[in-house]
Amino acid sequence: MSFINYFAETAAAPEASGSLLSALGIDWRLLILQIVAFLILVFLLGKFVYPWLMKQVDERQVAIEAAAKAATEAQASAAESKDRVTELLAEARSQAADIVSTAKLEAAQMLSASEERARSTAEKIAADAQANVKKSIETAKRELHDETLELIALATEKVIHTKLDKKADDALIVSALKELK
Amino acid sequence: MAKLSRRAIAKYATEQISSGADIKKLVLQLAAYLVDTRRTGELSLVIRDIQFYLSEAGSVSGVVTTATALTAETKKAIEKYIKQQTGASTVALDSFIDPSVIGGVKVSIPGRELDATVSRSLTVLRTRFKKA
Repeated sequence: MSFINYFAETAAAPEASGSLLSALGIDWRLLILQIVAFLILVFLLGKFVYPWLMKQVDERQVAIEAAAKAATEAQASAAESKDRVTELLAEARSQAADIVSTAKLEAAQMLSASEERARSTAEKIAADAQANVKKSIETAKRELHDETLELIALATEKVIHTKLDKKADDALIVSALKELK
Repeated sequence: MAKLSRRAIAKYATEQISSGADIKKLVLQLAAYLVDTRRTGELSLVIRDIQFYLSEAGSVSGVVTTATALTAETKKAIEKYIKQQTGASTVALDSFIDPSVIGGVKVSIPGRELDATVSRSLTVLRTRFKKA
């Protein structure tokens, strides 16, 4: 309140405006000096500090942008890698399915071939056995035939020895000669 | 002394026999020649050749083998058969009894043999019809 009163008093006494700055406690020479000092400071700051600072800021910005870009790229790469991994997994699953399918098919074929071989071998064994049996029967028949023949010859010889007398022998000789004619 | 062939000897002997020469003397000559020429091993072959040439000349000699002794009738039948077969005018047969022939007759003349014995028939039965 006393400050307002002070201003009102000052306005009411214009003759005293030249010493307003003095009244405010401001020394105009000091003020000019301070202004000059400020301008020098501004100049110095603008000449030496601000460029370096701006340069640092720019560099920092560039670094941040690069980092952001790298992060984006890394993110993109990660996404790409994820996609690739997904793709590879899908491919691997497909290949695995193919391999399993092929293995199953091959196993089935091998099983079929084994069965075929086993059946063929069994048939061959059976055929061989039949042939052997047949051969044995034929041999037995032949041996029986020959033995029968031998027995007939022996029996005939014995019978003729006992039954063929001189008269019958003569008749046999004459008959043989007649047949030969 | 020149060495005569077996055929020449046989032909000579056949001619002598056919011309009615003394058989005993001829046999002695033949024996002497074979001994002298050291060819006694050929005696059976010479005899066979002589029999062959004699059969060609119409005089057949042979061997008859039977199980029992031949009757005169049977022997005549055999001689007749040989004459018919060979065209010989005379047939001289030597008879042999061999029980192993069982029955029938076996006639051997030069160049031929007739085997109508039971033993041969049985042998044929054993061999010809054998399968093994």
